[in-house]
Amino acid sequence: MNSIQKKILVLVIAVLFIMVIIWTSLTYYNQKMQYQYNNILERYLIMNEVTNESQQIVATLNNYIIDPTAANLDEINKSKTKILSTKDEVMKFRNTDNNYVLTSYENLIDSLVEIMEQSVLARSEQQTEDYLNALSEASRISKYISEMTLTIIDKELNTYKRVYRSMINNSEELLKLGIWLLPLITMLLLLFAHLFSKRITKPINELTQAAHELSLGRFDLEVEVNSNDEISFLAKMFDKMRININNYLSEIKQKAQLENELQQSKLLLQESQLRSLQSQINPHFLYNTLDMLSKKAYIEDAEETSDLLVNVAELLRYNLNKLENSASLFEEVQVLNQYMNIQNTRFIDRLQFHLDIDESCLDVQIPRLTLQPIVENAIIHAIEPVEDGGSIWFRIIEELEHVRIEIEDDGPGMTEEKVQQMLQLKKTKSEGHFTGIGISNVVKRLSLFYNNHDVFDIESKVGIGTKIILKIPKTGRVEDSETTPDS
Amino acid sequence: MRKLAIVIFICVCLTLSYFTIVSASKVFKTDWELPQSTEQVDTKQRLVLITQELETPFWDKVATGAMDEAEKEGVSLEVWGSYGNNQEEFLKQIEIAIYSQMDGIILQGLDTDEFKNLTKIKAASYGIPIITVANDVPMGDSLRKSYVGSNHYEAGKMIGEQLIADMGTVGEVAVMIDKQHQYFQEQRLEGIREVLQRYPTIDIHYIETEDTRKEVIATTKDVLNRNPNINAFIVVNVEILAAMINEIERRSQIEPYFIYSFDDDYESITLLKQGKVDGIIEQAPEEMGKMSVKLILDWLNNKKVPLDLEGYQTDIKIIKANDEK
Repeated sequence: MNSIQKKILVLVIAVLFIMVIIWTSLTYYNQKMQYQYNNILERYLIMNEVTNESQQIVATLNNYIIDPTAANLDEINKSKTKILSTKDEVMKFRNTDNNYVLTSYENLIDSLVEIMEQSVLARSEQQTEDYLNALSEASRISKYISEMTLTIIDKELNTYKRVYRSMINNSEELLKLGIWLLPLITMLLLLFAHLFSKRITKPINELTQAAHELSLGRFDLEVEVNSNDEISFLAKMFDKMRININNYLSEIKQKAQLENELQQSKLLLQESQLRSLQSQINPHFLYNTLDMLSKKAYIEDAEETSDLLVNVAELLRYNLNKLENSASLFEEVQVLNQYMNIQNTRFIDRLQFHLDIDESCLDVQIPRLTLQPIVENAIIHAIEPVEDGGSIWFRIIEELEHVRIEIEDDGPGMTEEKVQQMLQLKKTKSEGHFTGIGISNVVKRLSLFYNNHDVFDIESKVGIGTKIILKIPKTGRVEDSETTPDS
Repeated sequence: MRKLAIVIFICVCLTLSYFTIVSASKVFKTDWELPQSTEQVDTKQRLVLITQELETPFWDKVATGAMDEAEKEGVSLEVWGSYGNNQEEFLKQIEIAIYSQMDGIILQGLDTDEFKNLTKIKAASYGIPIITVANDVPMGDSLRKSYVGSNHYEAGKMIGEQLIADMGTVGEVAVMIDKQHQYFQEQRLEGIREVLQRYPTIDIHYIETEDTRKEVIATTKDVLNRNPNINAFIVVNVEILAAMINEIERRSQIEPYFIYSFDDDYESITLLKQGKVDGIIEQAPEEMGKMSVKLILDWLNNKKVPLDLEGYQTDIKIIKANDEK
């Protein structure tokens, strides 16, 4: 059953009930009145009938006396039975007030009938004087009967005066009742309608209020409706919707945060690019010049110088490539070799560079210019300040899921504090770097590239040396481009 | 504001429902007090008292006495009759009473043939006992069972004696009688005559008159003209009294005349108080009513059969103007 429908039905039934009660009682009342009126009328009519019948008797008697035929006698008998039955009717009206007069009335009728019979008898015996006397007597009695009828009716009026008066009063009261009833029913109906409409509209109002709050963007307020009909169902659904929207909203916020981070990494990349560009003073010219110088040195049989120049030139060329592109480990290692050749020329015996490479791992993609800055860093901190020089070990080891790259030196090492600083990407100055790219830049790029902070690790002990470990996942970079580098 | 509205609304509702309920209870309360209907015929004996002078003080008292007695005895009694000596109506009422087969009829006697005919033949043929009251009709003429009332002969004697006492034994007396010569008036006359005859020095004029006002005035004039020395009037029928006194007053002082009458109706008592009438016979109407009902019931219940045909006398006494003053 529909709830609002039920409510409407209840209202209608209530109204109907009131109407039916009023209608029934009024009908009942009316019926009662009608009955009374009918009773009264009936009395008067029957009494009137007695008068008529008594006159009728005298008339038939007269007819018979003039013309004593069987037909007329029959007429007389007929009217006799009629008046006797009417008499019985009248006797039903007997009450304590009219007992006396009704008995007289009854006897009067009896006398009339008796006289009539006497007259008929006298007529049949031809006793002229007797039957004429009886006739006149009968007509007198008939007159008395009609007079007494009036007396009885008069008495009835007196007896029933109170009843009639109260009937009149009653009908006046009925009018008053009507006058009172109308505003009362109006009031009650107004009250019912008000309560009823309130029960329907209150939840709707609450719902409207809730919708308004939602439209203002307040998704944290619970939608609450005190009702047991469809509106409450609507409200529940509405609340569910609110919760869903709330969830979506927080999800969107999270995404926005992520996007923001991504934006940040891009900015960082641009910054490093800018720096690399800053450090390239017309690099192509420099590169070409170096190339030409290498050829010149070769022609002049300075082969070692020529090789050095080639290395410098290659390094420069690699640097000129776009930084955001990844490169294969192989390329990186090559660049590293060229760099080390240059550094060997610089440090000669002070630098011992050991390579230990698992050739099978060289396909792995890593961000461009990752290894060179780390090694350069090792040279700057472990070789340059030490007069006796030092060794640098470079290892590529295959592991289960990663390719492990280790760059180890035997320099003075770092304090734990400093290691933490580096790992937390505190900006340090990248002074003296060949490419102008500092170690922190590398770390950041790595973590952004692999979306993983586990890639970079430092192990260092003061006085023993520093080991930098890169764990490059074999799967490479999960998202983003897999473009192969182009030189 | 809202609270006030609710309070007002509730008050209005309560007031309305109060009036509605009061009104409804009035409408639906049926205190119609219908007379109790009785299916069975009333077994009470039905008596009727018929007089030609309804609602005169005298007959009111008779009726009251009769009613009291009827109530005490538990019988129904109604008082019928005519107003102002309307004989025709009176006779009709008697006839109706007979045709209605009353158990008993108490009648003011009327000394006419029709009356006698009715009581003698009709009532007897229906077997209804009749008792005359206040005014008698001779038993032989009416077949009445008995008579209850004053002894009019005695009353006449009392008046006569009073006159002698007041006036002395010398004088002229006019005795006013109406022409109907009713039995009770004859008796009164008899009584008066009986007393006055003893005194030859008293001159008696018997004057007959119709009891209409005009006739009375004419007769009075005539009497006064013919007998200028008249000392006293005795009015046998009280209806003559007022007109007669009127006429005497027009001619001369009323004081010198000795005026006596029977029957204490309004007029006569007023005149008595004014001192215009010197004496009136006071009867005992309540006693009459009472006794008549009692006697007719005795007869109906066969307690006292037969009744005294001569009748039962009730008290009479004379009241004089001096007493009233």
